[in-house]
Amino acid sequence: MTDVHTLAGAYVLNAVDDLDRAQFSRHLAECPACTAEVAELTETIAALTPATAETPPDRLRAAVLARAAATPQLPRETRRAPRRNAAHWQRWLAAAAAVVVLGGAGAVGYTIADHSRSGIQSAAETRRIAAVLAAPDARMQSVASGDGRVTVVTAESQNAAVAVLANLPSPGPGHAYQLWVIRDSNPRSVGVLAAGRTDATELFSGVRGAQAFGVSREPAGGSVDPTTPLVAELPLA
Amino acid sequence: MTTEPEQTRQQVTTTPVDVDELMSQVADGDQDAFAALYDAVAPRVYGLIRRVVRDAALAEEVAQEALVEVWRNASRFDRARGSAAGWIFTIAHRRAVDRVRAEQAATERERRTARASVPFDDVVEEVTARLEQHAVRRCLDALTRVQREAILLAYYRGLTYPEVADRLGAPLPTIKTRMRDGLIRLRDCLGVSWR
Repeated sequence: MTDVHTLAGAYVLNAVDDLDRAQFSRHLAECPACTAEVAELTETIAALTPATAETPPDRLRAAVLARAAATPQLPRETRRAPRRNAAHWQRWLAAAAAVVVLGGAGAVGYTIADHSRSGIQSAAETRRIAAVLAAPDARMQSVASGDGRVTVVTAESQNAAVAVLANLPSPGPGHAYQLWVIRDSNPRSVGVLAAGRTDATELFSGVRGAQAFGVSREPAGGSVDPTTPLVAELPLA
Repeated sequence: MTTEPEQTRQQVTTTPVDVDELMSQVADGDQDAFAALYDAVAPRVYGLIRRVVRDAALAEEVAQEALVEVWRNASRFDRARGSAAGWIFTIAHRRAVDRVRAEQAATERERRTARASVPFDDVVEEVTARLEQHAVRRCLDALTRVQREAILLAYYRGLTYPEVADRLGAPLPTIKTRMRDGLIRLRDCLGVSWR
């Protein structure tokens, strides 16, 4: 047994720094006995986990599953990445419907919201939303607005994006939120919410080459140009 | 009481069976399998992370990151090198430990003496008390004090082995060895085997 081998215990306990870890990982690659030992010690530690098991809040499940749904998996190393199964997506979103964003410090996750609040129109739109979220180049950006949050997932490859408005402050009587894509300082309306609505999932296209996405508060029915200041603005480029 | 070896073995080996199968489906992009996987492991993942990071809200955030990492990296899981459950808990623990260390580093930037002033906590007592109803308690009791404390301080407080050595006032090589010896003894006591 070499000296580095005695690190097996500290290694499986994550009680090593990055340097030790790298060194030991290299050692593992050329030491089958150590690999077996690490596997057994890892199982041993796993045996401690029932003792500390604790039911997490329900919202964690929704957040994890929806975030996974929007996260592409790493491809297998030996063969092509499995193609995402559209049927799964449909079931996923049909059951859940809207994707509302849950903001945390430094982390944003999806949680599933009540369908009736979503504004999603049809199965076709649901599919397109799923396609945007699943696109390999999907990028998510998010900004807080009052107690709520505006999130945009952009898929340049599809020239489309999904905006999720969650828990925005009330726009006030006779007012509505309107969504804009801004290109070369020219705002183009991509949707007006029903008056008073504060949550929505909206699909829109024409994002390629656009610089920003904005949400404005307008008289019910929307306006030709956004009222400034915008309620929320996110860069798209 | 679950102190009989039969039950001990069962506890260690029954859960991962399903999880292994689910994991291979998850690696194929199966989201239903991932939901089932979540149900199977989330309480242990969350509980472990909460033990390490202490704060419930932070634990939720770290658990979310860890479980999404499980999804994202599913194809990297190699069944030939361990159980899926072991792999998942390793990811969860690593995330929790990374977070604790990052926060410690931040605290130390503000107050260089912070670590020195942290009282030697009662982690061993606290954890073993929680383990009371579990078969692993008997096996932990069978370890030497240094083995037990070294393992528990590293695992539940996210300390590196040099930090553990510092806390326990023992030489570095001793702690390194005790961690390994202790885990091997625990392994034998629990009857854990891998292939």
